[in-house]
Amino acid sequence: MEAYLGIDVGSVTTKVAALDVNDELIADFYLPTQGQPIVKVQQGLAEVRRHLPADVEIRGVGTTGSARYLAGTIVGADLIKNEITSHAVAALHYIPDVQTVLEIGGQDSKIIIIRDGVVTDFGMNTVCAAGTGSFLDHQALRLNMGIEDFSHKSLDSETPVRIAGRCTVFAESDMIHKQQVGHRIEDILYGLCQALVRNYLNNIASGKEIRPPIVFQGGVAFNQGIVKAFREELKTDIIIPPHHEVMGAIGAALLAHEEMADHSDSTKFRGFGISDIQYRTSSFECKACPNLCEIAQLATNGKVLARWGGRCDMWERTSAG
Amino acid sequence: MKIGIPRALLYYQYYPMWKHFFEELGAEVVVSPHTTRVILSSGISRVVADTCLPAKAYMGHVMSLVGKCDCVFIPAIRSLKAKVFNCSKFLGLPDMTRAVVPECPPILSIDVDMNKGEKELWREIDRLGRHFTRNHSKVRQAAMSAWQKHLEYCRLMVEEGLTPPQALERMFGLEAEPEGKGASKEKALPTADASGQAHIAVIGHPYILYDHHVSHRLINWLQQHNIRVHTPEMLAAEAIDSGIGRLVGQSYWTYEYEVVGAGGHYLEHDVDGVIGLVAFGCGPDSLMMDMVRRHSALPGAAAFMNLTLEEHTAEAGIVTRLEAFVDMVRRKKRRKETCA
Repeated sequence: MEAYLGIDVGSVTTKVAALDVNDELIADFYLPTQGQPIVKVQQGLAEVRRHLPADVEIRGVGTTGSARYLAGTIVGADLIKNEITSHAVAALHYIPDVQTVLEIGGQDSKIIIIRDGVVTDFGMNTVCAAGTGSFLDHQALRLNMGIEDFSHKSLDSETPVRIAGRCTVFAESDMIHKQQVGHRIEDILYGLCQALVRNYLNNIASGKEIRPPIVFQGGVAFNQGIVKAFREELKTDIIIPPHHEVMGAIGAALLAHEEMADHSDSTKFRGFGISDIQYRTSSFECKACPNLCEIAQLATNGKVLARWGGRCDMWERTSAG
Repeated sequence: MKIGIPRALLYYQYYPMWKHFFEELGAEVVVSPHTTRVILSSGISRVVADTCLPAKAYMGHVMSLVGKCDCVFIPAIRSLKAKVFNCSKFLGLPDMTRAVVPECPPILSIDVDMNKGEKELWREIDRLGRHFTRNHSKVRQAAMSAWQKHLEYCRLMVEEGLTPPQALERMFGLEAEPEGKGASKEKALPTADASGQAHIAVIGHPYILYDHHVSHRLINWLQQHNIRVHTPEMLAAEAIDSGIGRLVGQSYWTYEYEVVGAGGHYLEHDVDGVIGLVAFGCGPDSLMMDMVRRHSALPGAAAFMNLTLEEHTAEAGIVTRLEAFVDMVRRKKRRKETCA
């Protein structure tokens, strides 16, 4: 059986998806990155391998997410693609007439505007990561509840309180004030969901024409409170695709398939065996000029596989040779 | 006398003019090196956190000139046209520098305020020239020929489509950048307008666009990805004026042309996409770039993306957005061409 792999290594979670030649999802795995992108890619691959038939033959691999270059080097990717393109391609695959994609991940939130099957505009959060998945996680932790409980509890809200969602630092102090004067936790949680949605629409989506069909994907689409707040605010239905949390990985696999169909080369995939290899990362400060770049390197068995982080290509070249 | 010029802020606009003026009067000009992490962090260490990134870089440049020159030239550009105003960082640049870099060599300055008329400007030029000579006509001659140099510089950019660093290189030869030892020069750039090549305009203030450290080499990145890059300096005055006219009617800010004027033009002409670069916390840009963004929503306008730069040293966030923007522009262009 032939298959294509997509790997999405985000700041908070790592996603692996496998598609068959008809672009049907045959296996996927979703696990927290926990600050160890390499180990998690290895684990994710091993898990997906377990769910694939024994005779599977990988024909192409694509990586995406903020650690896409690191992941691409480890697995031997045929294609390394940014998250916007990957998410758009995946959304179009499941909902061909989609016009708006809302995506909220761990550190990034995006809006992608699609017209006639082509991305025509997108927005992404600027220098700060306010109102993304990691903030929701942090609040759930602070209230000593699982993120799943957060999701369910927020739906029980009757009179949501108003929370300042402009900045997460303000949001948190606002939440604490409301809790200390006796508001119900459900109302505070849903109030927070409304604040984040308002903030998203006023910032990232500002000036964008949000037309249905609207697809909401990314890990935060698990959160029923956020979904409900989006539905209320936009006054229209929102589609949550069945595999919304692995859409980036699916997009990367679709793009890898497209890439390999265009070129007849065989895949650069290093095989599932890489799950058992020990990789070592280290970094140093380059002293060749006053830029003092922080160079990160990836090595296995004492052999340097790749280096990143230089403003010039001095170290990249060393690693290629 | 050796005069230091910080390679920051208005350097990219006026360096040929300044250099020529001082050299005509018999002085020698030294420029601070290209921005590096050391220069930027030394600037950041002095000024309050709310100051904008380019101003922090400027202070770092002044500090790097200490001990290398007899005085530093820091003009106070208040207004270049009646009722058109400049950002306060330019108004108070000499005073701000004196306050945060006390070890700075004596500051040579000039107040340029066209609200006070041309006569006053000449008086200011005379005052600046008096540091070098008592001969009025010599100062005036130096100023006139420096102005010619400035026009020549502008012509190179408008007529030959050069960016300011390219034009400076053409005029004064290569000013080597502090690259890593043995680093190869940038990859050869495709200059021919290959069919299907995407065109992208990068708009914003020159001190953001062309400072490789601040902009994370954004223009080079685009060129290496086979994009033909257009910049505000390549536009003739008429194109800029009509851009400003369409977007805001009349300009209010002195350096509005490189944002609103160029944005107004490029959204409707020459390119497939426009990238607006702003420094986080820039007051005028928060208004000006927003005008461009609003205009980009009109039907038929080129794709637009706004990128905000701060002290972040990781380039990942910028590269992700650039990759996505270039992908989008290319796919749209392909679609347009297959439909046509």
